[in-house]
Amino acid sequence: MRVAIGPRVIDAGVSLALALVSPVAVAAGYPSPAQDYFDGRIDLNEHLIQDITSTYIVRVSGDSMEQAGISDGDELIVNRALEPRDGSVVVAVLDGELTIKRLRITPAGVVLQAANPLYPDIRVPALAELTVWGVATRCLHHV
Amino acid sequence: MSKPALMRAMPQIAHVDVNCFYASAERAFDPSLEGKPVVVLSNNDGCAVTRSPEAKALGIPIGEPWFKLAPRAKEWGLVALSSNYELYGDISARVMELLGRYSAWLEVYSIDEAFLGVKGTPEELLALGRTMKTAVRRNVGVPVCVGIAPTKTLAKLANKWAKHNPAFGGVCHWDSVPAADRDGLMGRLSVIEIWGVAARLTKRLNVLGIHSILDLSRADPVMIRDRFSVVMMRTVLELQGTPCIPMEEERVGRDQLIFSRSFATPITTSADMRQVLSVYGQQASARLAKHRLQAKVLTAFAGTSHFNPKDTSYPSVCVPLPMPTADPVLLTKAAHALLPLIHDGVRYAKAGIMVTDLRPAGNQAPLAPFENPHEERRVGALLEDVTRRYGRGSIGLGYAGIKSGLDWTMRRDMLSPRYTTHWDELPLVKAA
Repeated sequence: MRVAIGPRVIDAGVSLALALVSPVAVAAGYPSPAQDYFDGRIDLNEHLIQDITSTYIVRVSGDSMEQAGISDGDELIVNRALEPRDGSVVVAVLDGELTIKRLRITPAGVVLQAANPLYPDIRVPALAELTVWGVATRCLHHV
Repeated sequence: MSKPALMRAMPQIAHVDVNCFYASAERAFDPSLEGKPVVVLSNNDGCAVTRSPEAKALGIPIGEPWFKLAPRAKEWGLVALSSNYELYGDISARVMELLGRYSAWLEVYSIDEAFLGVKGTPEELLALGRTMKTAVRRNVGVPVCVGIAPTKTLAKLANKWAKHNPAFGGVCHWDSVPAADRDGLMGRLSVIEIWGVAARLTKRLNVLGIHSILDLSRADPVMIRDRFSVVMMRTVLELQGTPCIPMEEERVGRDQLIFSRSFATPITTSADMRQVLSVYGQQASARLAKHRLQAKVLTAFAGTSHFNPKDTSYPSVCVPLPMPTADPVLLTKAAHALLPLIHDGVRYAKAGIMVTDLRPAGNQAPLAPFENPHEERRVGALLEDVTRRYGRGSIGLGYAGIKSGLDWTMRRDMLSPRYTTHWDELPLVKAA
């Protein structure tokens, strides 16, 4: 190990002079063979988040997306940078509230669908009139 | 060189800042605030520090104390919010990270504004400005305006213009605007509006017949230097299109990490500087640990304002660390090596630390005598655990994280959820 000892070394916590003449046995043991195979643990951020600048986590309140596997209290990973497409599960702004729906873009028009027969479809005159806040990419469902 | 090739070679400065930053950050997560007058209050819910355009239209002045506004809030439909620093800090970091993808040459100037070095033809620069504006709005969720010009001073002015004149669509490329229009704007604006001209100097400028920015841009730089200062001369030259205020790069390559900011109010005591350096030391430790890196060298620096010609001081100290480390205690101690160079009474506008000579953690086991006593006891990991569970400022080393007396008791009665930094406060989406 190279130790930098310049003319103005500033002690940042350990006394080098003492350490260099220490008679203590050197612990330079044989490294564990497993070390060569260890690349770090699985990092969920790395796998679940494509772009950290545009990804937010939100919490679901209500049961209207139940049949899409999205339950009350689940967390959703939402990417704002994605282009919403037909079939996307989107967070849309409806009456000033963030609302989760499935987006349907069909020749007959744009529709926001719930995934629960108790909730009616919402017709949108045009895609341009809809504020899509983000596109959900994953649901962290509580099992 | 042909003219387009020449223009391509000349770098320009893009100034990007978020419109009504605090209010916009709140609106990003609460769309019901859209179109309503919103004010964000300073520490202890003191006075309005950010106003949405609707709040400005009500005639609420910046800095208006909340107790004066409160009685009329209901009648106005005014929404007041406490400063949600956790939210603003995260949104700011996202904006800066995103902007960094458009230019490696980025200077984070404050929580909501940055300078970027950019190159290209006028068409390319305008297109780049629009791309950045759209990307920040769409990805992060807050609106920005962009000013692009040959100098920082003009870029700031161009940005201001883009904000106030809807015809620009939020992006103003200074050189693309006809000279007569630019002169018209500069003729309408008082010198006090320009970046870097202190209000106390306006009277002295007025005596010389300099009232508008246009007047100042046409002044003789040498005369200005003799009557005022080199700093004021730089402003004149910058207005004339000659870059004089260099970009201060925040981060160059992957081989170093910099933690640095300009202060809203200058730091004037060694005790305060100690606290700032401690905070940076711990931020550096956390960032290094996150990327599983260790640093070999730490540089701590501070500086007075570009705009304050008196008592200029740029102390800096380079500290070789005894071993590659990410240990908060060692990094903080090393950062404090700057303190003997800090003089009470000097107004430091900026400070920071830089860690360099980075290497992956744990690549070489240190010889026993070099083992780090703090890492051994996992001080860094403990700090991180406590911070994660109990919030930032709940624990810190010495002078750093622990909130000072004021902060402990800070009133934030109208605080919105800390949407992006606290698992218990995630934004709710309605499934109904």
